[in-house]
Amino acid sequence: MNRNRVWTIANYVLLSVAALLFIAPVLFMVAGSFKPEARVLSDMDSWRALLPGGAGLQNYRDVFARIPFGRYLWNSALINGLIVGLGLFVNALAGYALARLQWRGRDVMLAVVLALLIIPFEAIAVPLFYQLSALGWRNDYAVQVFPFVANPLAIYLFYSFFLGLPRELEEAARVDGAGILRTFFVIVIPNAKPVFATVAIVSFLLYWGMYLWPLLMTVDDAVRPLPLAIATFYTLPPVQWGDILAFGVMMVLPVLVIFIAFQPWFVRGVTTTGLKG
Amino acid sequence: MGNVTLTHITKRFADGTEAISDLSLNIEDGELLVLLGPSGCGKSTLLRMVAGLESPTGGEIRIDDTVVNGLSPQQRNIAMVFQNYALYPHMSVARNLAFPLKMQRLPRREIERRVHAVAQRLSLAGLLDKQPKALSGGQRQRVAMGRALVREPKVFLMDEPLSNLDAELRLQIRQDIARLQRDTGITTLYVTHDQVEAMTLGQRIVVLKQGGVQQLGTAHELYARPANTFVAGFIGSPGMNIFTAAVQHGEQGYALLIAGRPLSLQGSCYGDESLSSFAGKALQVGVRPEALRLIASGESGVHVIPATLSAVERLGHEVIVHFPAINRVAGAEVEHSARLAYQDGLQIGDEVTLGLSVGDLYLFDMDGKAIARVG
Amino acid sequence: MNKAAPRSEQSIAWLFMAPALLGLAVFILMPFLLAIALSFTNVRMGSPLPVEWVGWREYARLVSDAGFGRALFNNLLFAAVVVPVQTLAALGLALWLNRPLRGRVVFRTLFFMPVVFPLSLIAVVWILIYSPDANGLMNHGLDILTLGHWQPRDFLHDPHWALPAIMLTSMWQGAGLQMVVLLAALQAIPGELYEAAAIDGAKSWQRFRHVTLPQLRNALVFVVIVTTILAFRVFDQVRIMTQGGPENHSATVVFAAVRAAFDRSQVARGMAMSVVFFVIVLAVTVAQRKLLKQTRS
Repeated sequence: MNRNRVWTIANYVLLSVAALLFIAPVLFMVAGSFKPEARVLSDMDSWRALLPGGAGLQNYRDVFARIPFGRYLWNSALINGLIVGLGLFVNALAGYALARLQWRGRDVMLAVVLALLIIPFEAIAVPLFYQLSALGWRNDYAVQVFPFVANPLAIYLFYSFFLGLPRELEEAARVDGAGILRTFFVIVIPNAKPVFATVAIVSFLLYWGMYLWPLLMTVDDAVRPLPLAIATFYTLPPVQWGDILAFGVMMVLPVLVIFIAFQPWFVRGVTTTGLKG
Repeated sequence: MGNVTLTHITKRFADGTEAISDLSLNIEDGELLVLLGPSGCGKSTLLRMVAGLESPTGGEIRIDDTVVNGLSPQQRNIAMVFQNYALYPHMSVARNLAFPLKMQRLPRREIERRVHAVAQRLSLAGLLDKQPKALSGGQRQRVAMGRALVREPKVFLMDEPLSNLDAELRLQIRQDIARLQRDTGITTLYVTHDQVEAMTLGQRIVVLKQGGVQQLGTAHELYARPANTFVAGFIGSPGMNIFTAAVQHGEQGYALLIAGRPLSLQGSCYGDESLSSFAGKALQVGVRPEALRLIASGESGVHVIPATLSAVERLGHEVIVHFPAINRVAGAEVEHSARLAYQDGLQIGDEVTLGLSVGDLYLFDMDGKAIARVG
Repeated sequence: MNKAAPRSEQSIAWLFMAPALLGLAVFILMPFLLAIALSFTNVRMGSPLPVEWVGWREYARLVSDAGFGRALFNNLLFAAVVVPVQTLAALGLALWLNRPLRGRVVFRTLFFMPVVFPLSLIAVVWILIYSPDANGLMNHGLDILTLGHWQPRDFLHDPHWALPAIMLTSMWQGAGLQMVVLLAALQAIPGELYEAAAIDGAKSWQRFRHVTLPQLRNALVFVVIVTTILAFRVFDQVRIMTQGGPENHSATVVFAAVRAAFDRSQVARGMAMSVVFFVIVLAVTVAQRKLLKQTRS
């Protein structure tokens, strides 16, 4: 009895230490964002690196004073929201057509979608950059949104889900006289909430941190998103680490909040993708 | 007005399996016909073809003398109750009931009238605002029926609607369905694997096996005049005991050799003409478990079968005993049963004598087909 | 199964597919084909010269391009180190968290947290952590670990430490993702299997070998394949932390391709690199899939 308790407590302690070490960079970032510049650097060699204090919200105010942070945040939110929103619509339709409708060419199309799944974005980033620039399409929101709306992974997730739905609801709707469009929008979608949540969250996670593409395609701060902004901010003289860390905290906060709030969805989304292979 | 005619229906699936082979059937207007059979016999496939959810590979389906082969389910004016009810989970009961009428673009007033009428009839009035997940199994079943009823269709199609209910509910709703069908007079095609359900509900029953019709008749016809050993063994619980025996022809006419003793067939339902072709050959004999009785010894006119009990099931009003099959044939059942009036004192291992009379015998040829009876 | 569907279903199906197909065709298929086509030309960005077909010239140049060769080598090294280390760490964490612990969700959240961090942010923060002074967080930490025998290093500018430094940031960010997948798979293993094994006399390491590992197989294969592919796609940290330096010691293929096309206007070169990159990723994926055939349990 007592041995068990000792083991359990030791386990918790070890686990907490491991977690602490793992989270150390995060704590460091958060702590540093609340410190005056000199302390950020001088505290680094002690435990005080992980503890905040000393500058209050000064660094945060500096960020807003030095660069249009609000603009970047808005850009990220808009771009991401459009990608996710439009993506849900476009990819769900495709997934349903592949899973449930009978049409000539379906099997070929399915094979094509699966094949495209293999192409990593980085392989087409350069050619796509050239292709769109040559057409004069650069430096706006649309060019950061549209390439990512149709997504083979999302289509595959929807396809898998719709395949697994019991057919009875759709059959009952058919017997009741509903056509395909109405069945999809009125009967199927309201009962597909889990997959919509999963795809939305996985997409959001994928695209919030997108750096390569905005780097290639945008020039103006007016349309640049956060990941790009922090990379330029950190080289902007004078290099104030406190400000940079404050920028980082604000940049990751929306994702963190959504993550913590919708944790089970995140995990489920990640694991269903994983366990479906 | 809704008679359904199936002519030479075949259904072959993409992988080559033939679910239905050349089936023809006529369902009278206003009758409740039951499609009965074990799983995989094609009964659900047949139902779905009448519904329009699947198309036959060959053959013609007519509803009210109109060929419906190319028509959508809605155009056929049929309604269906699914095994798992298929209620729209995100809609209230009222919206579930109204949905098919909305699809038909009926005026709102008419929709409301029909929904309320059906709700009243099926005692759903208090549940109209609830969602399916808040309902019990029996309530959901009634909503499924209501959704079909509300369309005032020509034909009702029911796919094992009671199989998800517990025994008590099943009994009650079975009666409700029977009454409903009588009152509305709508032609109904009802699929089930439960022969008790079939016998109590169906005016006529079609027994199916592997896509082919085994017998079509009333419950009594199936019970008392099974067309083959499959129907004989399927109907009744437990089903008919089947074993083989050889036919002897002696001075006193034909007799069966059962368990080493001859049983004269004089006075049976089988005449000499039918039996003559079996002289010296074997055929299959059936006797229902309820026809066997426990006898002391030496009753006349009764053939005696000794049996060592391998299982005893007490059911309050009767006892069902099981014993090793008479004349066991490879591939046939291992055990036979007898339904006896209740008595204490029967144990596994007891050696008893069971009696049967000549009049309780059913004869089938070695392919399983019933031999013609006299009278 | 696709025979004779009513005409309307055919048209509706195409209607449903149309937006996705358009997107996939224009934004994935076309650039892919363009890369292959243009890699055989001498196309440059904004050049007034006409584009000519030059055949395999760019590819030939790649072979002798020391920078590209180094980048390729770096990616292979990256995969060879990161995949096993990160997977083992994730497996360890998953096994550790698989016990009946109160607060398991809290710990799982903590370990998963780095996954939601954008790589560019991670790059910037870790630049500070890798600060070359003696009191830089990493230098100081290593000093403590080695009990005072550590010489402070400028990790990001050191030819031997630049790539490992980036490896560490990737592993830190990715372990949580793997852990969550493995943990879910572990929790899906029915307890009865362990009980049956215990009754059969298997000790704990035997149970691990004969019950846990086989059940984990599919998840492990998935995790290894995904991590390998991700190991080849490394870009953000390289661009921000080291710019491939010093002397390409931390360059990766994607970084080299972007640098060629974007910074140096050698678009055709960049295309050729992208094509090579794709072929390698495909080859590795196919090879892994074949070697580690996933079983349908």
